[in-house]
Amino acid sequence: MLRVQDCSISNATRSLIQNMSFTVSPGEVLTLMGPSGAGKSTFLSWMIGALPAEFSFQGELWLNKQRRDTLPTARRNIGILFQDALLFAHLNVGQNLAMALPATIKGREQRQYYVEQALANAQLTHFSRRDPATLSGGERARVSVLRALLAKPEALLLDEPFSRLDQTLREQFRQFVWQQVEQQAIPVVLVTHDPQDIPTGGHIITVNGSDY
Amino acid sequence: MSNRGLQRTLALLAVGCVFAPLLPGLVMMAKPMLMPDIWRQLWADNQWTGALQATLYSTMISVGGSLTLCLILLCGLWPGAHWQRLTSRMPLLLALPHVAFASGFLFMLSDNGWLARLCGVSFHLDENGVGLGILLALKECWFLLWIASTQLNQQSLSQQLTVAQSLGYGPLQSRMRVLVAQLLPRLKWALLAVVAYSLSVVDVAIILGPSNPPTLAVLAWQWLNDADPQRVAMGMLTSMLLVVMLVIFSTVGYAIWRLSRRCLGQFSGKRHQLSILPLALGSGFIMTLTGVAAIAMLVLWSFADGWFYPALLPDAFALSGWQAAELSPLITTLVLALASSLTGLLVVVLWLEGGSSRFDLWLALPLFLPALPLVAGQYQILLVMEQDESWLGVIWSHLLWVVPYMLLVARPAWQQFDSRLTITAQTFGWSPWKILCWVKLPMLIRPLLAALAVGFSVSVAQYLPTLYAGAGRFTSVTTETVALSSGGDPQQQAIQALLQMLLPAIMFIAMRQLSSLFTHYRQGLR
Repeated sequence: MLRVQDCSISNATRSLIQNMSFTVSPGEVLTLMGPSGAGKSTFLSWMIGALPAEFSFQGELWLNKQRRDTLPTARRNIGILFQDALLFAHLNVGQNLAMALPATIKGREQRQYYVEQALANAQLTHFSRRDPATLSGGERARVSVLRALLAKPEALLLDEPFSRLDQTLREQFRQFVWQQVEQQAIPVVLVTHDPQDIPTGGHIITVNGSDY
Repeated sequence: MSNRGLQRTLALLAVGCVFAPLLPGLVMMAKPMLMPDIWRQLWADNQWTGALQATLYSTMISVGGSLTLCLILLCGLWPGAHWQRLTSRMPLLLALPHVAFASGFLFMLSDNGWLARLCGVSFHLDENGVGLGILLALKECWFLLWIASTQLNQQSLSQQLTVAQSLGYGPLQSRMRVLVAQLLPRLKWALLAVVAYSLSVVDVAIILGPSNPPTLAVLAWQWLNDADPQRVAMGMLTSMLLVVMLVIFSTVGYAIWRLSRRCLGQFSGKRHQLSILPLALGSGFIMTLTGVAAIAMLVLWSFADGWFYPALLPDAFALSGWQAAELSPLITTLVLALASSLTGLLVVVLWLEGGSSRFDLWLALPLFLPALPLVAGQYQILLVMEQDESWLGVIWSHLLWVVPYMLLVARPAWQQFDSRLTITAQTFGWSPWKILCWVKLPMLIRPLLAALAVGFSVSVAQYLPTLYAGAGRFTSVTTETVALSSGGDPQQQAIQALLQMLLPAIMFIAMRQLSSLFTHYRQGLR
């Protein structure tokens, strides 16, 4: 269970988020809608622990009965997908995924096996040694989802991950993401301005940035 | 001839004048490499091995130290407010000339320097080139940080860092695996420049380096100035050996990189939460402190009225030192720097208009090569053309370093220039020259002024070209500071070093004022 309690975020000129509170159960997708500049992405960067220094904030973030907003990003155990796939350009596809695997999976062969398994699961067999730069937009996006989920996060944040893809790819990729998330059964928070991105049956919160 | 053809010819001509004569000069320099006699004499020389050792030590400390410091600061501070603060201090410490910094550093750390007076211990800095290496590491680190900061201004890197941290990797680990692994390949040219500079630096090594034997570059320099042709040949051979050492250093560096890259791509999945923020803050503080303290030493000495060991402060302050100061080096420096930076600007504009950016790397070569063989090669040509000792010869020899730095500054602005504006002007039926003079140059006035200031400061800092091409007849603030460093007049040395520092500083401020004058009336140029 993911819980945000009374979160407010503002910078010197504007209040972006005011007293936001919600809970998301495992397997549920909560969608934050709103015009661009309303502070949706800023809110996600607060949740992940990477809020730029010019913002001030209050509120609490709880995940599985543990408070997380006081921890650094690396210890929150929350995954994130951005608009861009952000694959590490100096590593090949397999290494990108191996980086995410937990240390409990030991031995080079065992780790490689997990990586191959994940790739096959996403119809990306034999992609392990490929340079990320040679992948198509859709392939890159799928690898980034695999990478985020291989780290076994307890929650996942999606920052407009569909908006860079063209119409046909977008629909396929949405299906892929919801299918993957369903297998993991973790709380998901999605930020978007496209109503078509909202999965069926999900809750929606509208965010309106307001000036002082 | 078509306009385009004319442009290309002029570009090649301008650049050719600066670079082409160098090739026969270098061929002449390489000749002693084929003489077994000279090799034998070199081998038999009793200073040679000691000098080699000093050069190896100082270069390894300089390159290793500056890179380590740079990575510590990056991994500890980027991105964030600490990093912003560090980069805001960068221009001052970057613009501080090497010779001025070395002079202040010497006043601080020499056997009877300020720290020795304070702590009562002497540091024996000149042994084996260790002090020289440390000084270069502290100075070159700012250069590496500057180059790194130009590569960091992209959002995707900081987002990648967030992704790595969301996967569980801590502050140091995520930066090593994501930032360092991607940044190091982009620093390769800067690192090569640091190696080349450290190997062949003469001015700083005379001020601060070991003396008996000196570093290889200083030894080669002494031999090249000898009356005995055999010695001169040994000097040529030694300066060519510096190029060989550069190749060896870069090959070893590349091999280390290949090995570590393999390690950076292996993931056992272990996560560490180590942060090196305190270490980085400490390193940044020490680096800034040495720079500021060096300047403070120069200022104190220049106004000191009697300052004897072991007093921590001068007995009194007076203007007598400044009143007695020799000002002719200042005039010479000013004329040389103005002439070479203005000529350099002309060459750079012609090249940017008519030349191809594919060859930029070739023009930048003087920055990645040891200066000594280049200067000696230039001198061979000047001798043949009977232009040694002439203003023209000295200005020409400065251009070899002035032009590449100016190009480095001006090229990005030229590339970002909106070509639709040129096309619009073409539709008026204007010739390329008219477009250049009435559209491009006025719109690019700010980067051009910045390039001019950089070219000016590069020229001010030249030691070897001034001394060599000028056959010792030209005394600049730089050559005078180095000459005074062995003469035992610290006050006059401090004054000349301060002048060396102030000249480029004044030029930078003047150019900035001029820029803001233009942008005051045309806000779109900002």
